[in-house]
Amino acid sequence: MTAPSPNHAARAATLVTFQLNGEPVTVAAPPHWTLVEVLRYQLNLTGTKQGCDKGDCGACTVRVDGAPVLACMTLAVLVQGRSVETVEGLGVGGEPHPLQRTFAELGAAQCGFCTPGMLMSASAYLDDLATRDAPTVDAVEISAVLGGNLCRCTGYTKIVQAVAVAAREVVERAQTLAEMSNDEAML
Amino acid sequence: MNRPLSSNPTSRDLHRIDVDDSPVDASGVVGSRHGRIDSLELLTGVGKYTDDLTLPRMLHCKILRSPHAHARIVSIDSSAAEGLTGVHAVITGADMPVRYGVIPWTQDEYPLALGKVRYIGDAVAAVAAVSEEVAKAALALIAVKYEVLPAIIDPREALTRKDVLIHEDNKHGNISKQVTLAFGDVDAALAGAELVIESDYEFHGATHGAIEPHCAMGHVDGKGLLTVWSTTQVPHYLLRELGRVLDRPSHSIRVIQPPVGGAFGGKSEPFDLEFCVAKLADLTGRPVKCLYTREEVFFAHRGRHPFSMHYKTGFDREGRIVAVDGKSLLDGGAYSSFGLVTTYYSGQLLGSPYVFPAYRFDSTRVYTNKPCCGPKRGHGSVQPRFAIEVQLDKAATVLGIDPIELRRRNFIGENSQTIGGFHVGSSGFLQCLSEVERASGWRHKRGNLPKGRGLGIAGSTYISGTNYCIYPTELPQSAVQICLDRSGRVRVFVGTSEIGQGSNTVVATLAADELGVELDDVRVLAADSDLTPVDLGAYSSRGTLMAGNACLAATRELAAKLREVIAKTWDCPPGDVGLAHRKAFRHSDLTVWMPIQEAFILAESQLGTLGAVGSYKTPTENVHGDYRGGTIGASPAYSFTAHVAEVEVDEETGEVTVLSIWCAHDCGLALSPTLVEGQIEGSTYMGAAEALMEHHRVLPSGLRSDGQKRETGPGVDGLLAASSLLDYRMPTSMDVPDLIALIVERPDPRGPRGAKEAGEGPLHSSIPAIANAVYDAVGVRIDDLPITPEKVLAALKRKAEVG
Amino acid sequence: MLRLPELEVVIADSLVAALTRLAEGRHVRALQGGTDLVANLKTGQTKAQTVVALGPLSELHGIDTSGEMVRIGAGERLVDVAQNAELQELFPALTYALARIASPQIRNAGTLGGNLCLDTRCRFINQSDLWREAMGGCLKSHGHECHVIPGGGGCVAALSADSVPVLMVLGAEVEIARLQDGAVLLRRTRVADLYDTDGLRHVRIADGELLTAVLVPKLPEGARAVYRKWAVRQSIDFPLVSTAVRLDLDRDGKLKQGKVAVGVLGPRPRLIPLDRWVGRPIDETLAQQVAAQVFDRCHPLPNVLYDHEYRRERLRVEVLRAIRTWFTPTAAAN
Repeated sequence: MTAPSPNHAARAATLVTFQLNGEPVTVAAPPHWTLVEVLRYQLNLTGTKQGCDKGDCGACTVRVDGAPVLACMTLAVLVQGRSVETVEGLGVGGEPHPLQRTFAELGAAQCGFCTPGMLMSASAYLDDLATRDAPTVDAVEISAVLGGNLCRCTGYTKIVQAVAVAAREVVERAQTLAEMSNDEAML
Repeated sequence: MNRPLSSNPTSRDLHRIDVDDSPVDASGVVGSRHGRIDSLELLTGVGKYTDDLTLPRMLHCKILRSPHAHARIVSIDSSAAEGLTGVHAVITGADMPVRYGVIPWTQDEYPLALGKVRYIGDAVAAVAAVSEEVAKAALALIAVKYEVLPAIIDPREALTRKDVLIHEDNKHGNISKQVTLAFGDVDAALAGAELVIESDYEFHGATHGAIEPHCAMGHVDGKGLLTVWSTTQVPHYLLRELGRVLDRPSHSIRVIQPPVGGAFGGKSEPFDLEFCVAKLADLTGRPVKCLYTREEVFFAHRGRHPFSMHYKTGFDREGRIVAVDGKSLLDGGAYSSFGLVTTYYSGQLLGSPYVFPAYRFDSTRVYTNKPCCGPKRGHGSVQPRFAIEVQLDKAATVLGIDPIELRRRNFIGENSQTIGGFHVGSSGFLQCLSEVERASGWRHKRGNLPKGRGLGIAGSTYISGTNYCIYPTELPQSAVQICLDRSGRVRVFVGTSEIGQGSNTVVATLAADELGVELDDVRVLAADSDLTPVDLGAYSSRGTLMAGNACLAATRELAAKLREVIAKTWDCPPGDVGLAHRKAFRHSDLTVWMPIQEAFILAESQLGTLGAVGSYKTPTENVHGDYRGGTIGASPAYSFTAHVAEVEVDEETGEVTVLSIWCAHDCGLALSPTLVEGQIEGSTYMGAAEALMEHHRVLPSGLRSDGQKRETGPGVDGLLAASSLLDYRMPTSMDVPDLIALIVERPDPRGPRGAKEAGEGPLHSSIPAIANAVYDAVGVRIDDLPITPEKVLAALKRKAEVG
Repeated sequence: MLRLPELEVVIADSLVAALTRLAEGRHVRALQGGTDLVANLKTGQTKAQTVVALGPLSELHGIDTSGEMVRIGAGERLVDVAQNAELQELFPALTYALARIASPQIRNAGTLGGNLCLDTRCRFINQSDLWREAMGGCLKSHGHECHVIPGGGGCVAALSADSVPVLMVLGAEVEIARLQDGAVLLRRTRVADLYDTDGLRHVRIADGELLTAVLVPKLPEGARAVYRKWAVRQSIDFPLVSTAVRLDLDRDGKLKQGKVAVGVLGPRPRLIPLDRWVGRPIDETLAQQVAAQVFDRCHPLPNVLYDHEYRRERLRVEVLRAIRTWFTPTAAAN
């Protein structure tokens, strides 16, 4: 058998440049490394977790070009030129993201290990909600959005609640904006 | 406003915590709505779990595992692996020839197999290399010669086969533990009973499924101190076993337990990887980390024991139990683990919440060539609880008594004693029954639901920690150190293991409440054997009661000091001084108050650095029976639970959908109600999953579909049917019923502020509640878990045929 | 954790380049979303030296509903096809089926072409190296015998793609590209003819060929299809029962033509025409008869991890329920 080179990172590593949480980053990624390995082992962004090896649990969920995907199934070299968001990029200027706040307050994170992935799925839903014409918050839809993220602690009840509370904030904001623009239209 | 300020000149320059002038709120933090104190760190990806840690020059460890369920190791040649570039060390069983095990009396495991392997997945050798990939490649170069032995998969076969011994030196063949205890004249009582329900029950295996795989990192520093970071939920037991196996004194070992990504009992004893990283770190002089694959987590297992049970329960005409006779066969897997305790629990924890006038149990745990079973949430008592609660339901049906009413009639009462001699203190069981009855709409729904819908009830109880430590000791079970300082901050050093259940928050809540600060002002440092006092770990639902009591002891000592100092200033009795929400105040005149930080400064200036230790020892009086085994399963206080499940059964497909489960749980006092609800919901969900879909199943050699036993192809015995999170089907967010958590508070004098456990009790009765609801819906009993569509369909067909 | 073996990753910059590399043989694999291939490479059940990433190829993209044959690029993500409003209108059974595949994350990465080319699945192959070694291998790994059908000569791992049964009943075709004399040549084949009975290589696409598009004919008046999936969980799982029913009705509501497609049997899905019921009204009697016929003709195997006898019975019920949607307004349709 052929022994892998001890310093596997050096083998034909490819320079990959992408937007990571809003900032450009370049890494030398071995071609057979997945995104989760590059994030955790090269970039020290250990917020993205690995739970199952092969796309069965959702703990490694990150957003690529906005869409939640499994970092353990995504070859790192294929994010060249794309935008990657991880849990570390949620929240702005030291303020936690509304989801991080509601998860913390409502006890939606127990052990917290599935949570980063859960947050990435939920944040995509919130962003999507914000673009809708007449958004409504629906627990069934939230459950479906989180359908690829296994949680073993909570029974999902408080997770769905926390997402719903944050989602309602989005909806209220949208309604306020709509009312303001209505007012403007009336003027 | 009369607001006396501190006269302490030395503290003037300090930055002060802003305290607003709002009226004093004496309500305290206990019982308030709050999440985990440390969750934001985890939610932002900043908190470091074990696998998130790296050290300079760290090596990676991989473990070679047996492809045979039962085999003698003839030879191991690791020379090729050692020669591979990037490999720093290879170890085998001979490098750590000391048996370990969490129970001192039944130590039957080697960190790496010595002489024999006993299940597919048993650890044989370990490699430390520069990367996971090189380590994995090295494993393929280790040549192990096996002499394959016949394997035992069926626990019944373990009882009868004398020619195959899984542990040759075991005195009782393949029996790992046997317990028979009898109280009262069971046979006479059964003979005189109005009704005897006699049934067989099968409880299948299930595993914990924590999302974080096991991981450990070891490092030996220049002075010879071994540090092991581990995903363990029992750092203290890990430290003890590391010391024994590696022949190191305790003071030269430091165990640190970073945040753990779920455990549920699956990380409650030492595992091969912790010994391997320690040994390899010692040999190589470099830090070594090992992270399990998901399949290795399934091998490590220590999950719910499969039970085959036979129960005879006698009732009088009014539905009162007159006798219980239970016989159980426990499938233990390859090693002992906690099996001794499991075997006792299988009988001892059943003696409440119902009166058993006569009781006998006979439980036998056998070894089989499968991953080892151990404690999963509700250790040892979930299985018999399923049996007895279905027995009660069957009796209620025959006797025409409402099953909730039948349970009420059998309630053991508060301040009572089980037939096995356990003292039951507080019990909110009747309130639990009433709560689920009310919330579920039981009275108007039961019997009036559309076809295929049904309601089921079940009740249960669980321990708040065990009265006795796993090893004999007079030492405290839990301890804390607490410091206050001029910053207005409270530092708590505690040995407890935060595994997501919120143990850090529990001690912080008590500390904040007793010392008059906010939760945000309490910093908890937990589970670092160099820095925190000993706690035995997160198992048997002991944390809240034991660490809570230890915490109270320390905080109350500190609070008393604060009160005395303040009382002197205000010239009032210490009892008049209250501490809450960053204020010290006079109970008799709430307009008199000072910021708590001022109080700390005042006390520190007068008394010096403010610190206290507290510890907890379990009670010695009025706890348990006085016979061999009478202490096992005894607890200072017991929680109580009732579940009502509402199900819908699709009679065409046999599929059971749980629509809602109401769970009322008596946790004594909810220190952190949000966290208690989380435990109730999580436990109930986990039980529902076990009831319907999860199955940790080992294939017999008839892994062929035709069920034929296959003589050729050694090694096919003992494969896991499902060893990934795809095949081991844990419910997704789209598969869970509505979970309604109802907190019942019946404070127990032995609990901190009355608090009892909440982490495991609320699992038990969710399973029989679902089984009983299925019967209510479609009139068939599935006594063989899990309740799968094919079983329901087959039962419906049988019922239709019988007419 | 499991890691990928060392690989060469080629990011194809043209279809010609991709086809050239794919023509080298089975050790070169096409990679779209990676949700199947990457998992199989990690567990070692698929061996490859090179993967050709097809992401940038414009030929594999686009959804064109203008013609009589709707064209969906093979590289379109499952989520985009499932959420396409026009497709939802034209082929609700297809978009429903795609929306039931695995999980949101997998639908965000996985593609329609990838689902059609999903490797067959079996509880004896979708395992770790150690597991397969302990078992002594099987026809699809390093062994010489089948554990599903003892003594069986061919691999019977299951086609588990949710998209296939529904595309079969819709009469869909696929477009397959290859190189000839340096030029791209396209051929077309019906989805119903795309699969073979050999679980080792069940997709009839040769080395050097690439599935580039799916073409679905618009349904005539009176025609409708329904997809039914059963799995233990509502998300993440592959189907354990997967069936699509299409009925074309005449103006009187009588059956003009119909067919049932069934997946998760062996490597090849089964297409059952309903000719014998032509002219019959769609009612419970017909539903029961069709379901019984499907039950008779289909024999789910113990290849995927669920009791195969139950799967057979469940298949009967799912067909029944699919047909009931034609005459029971409350029955769930899609």
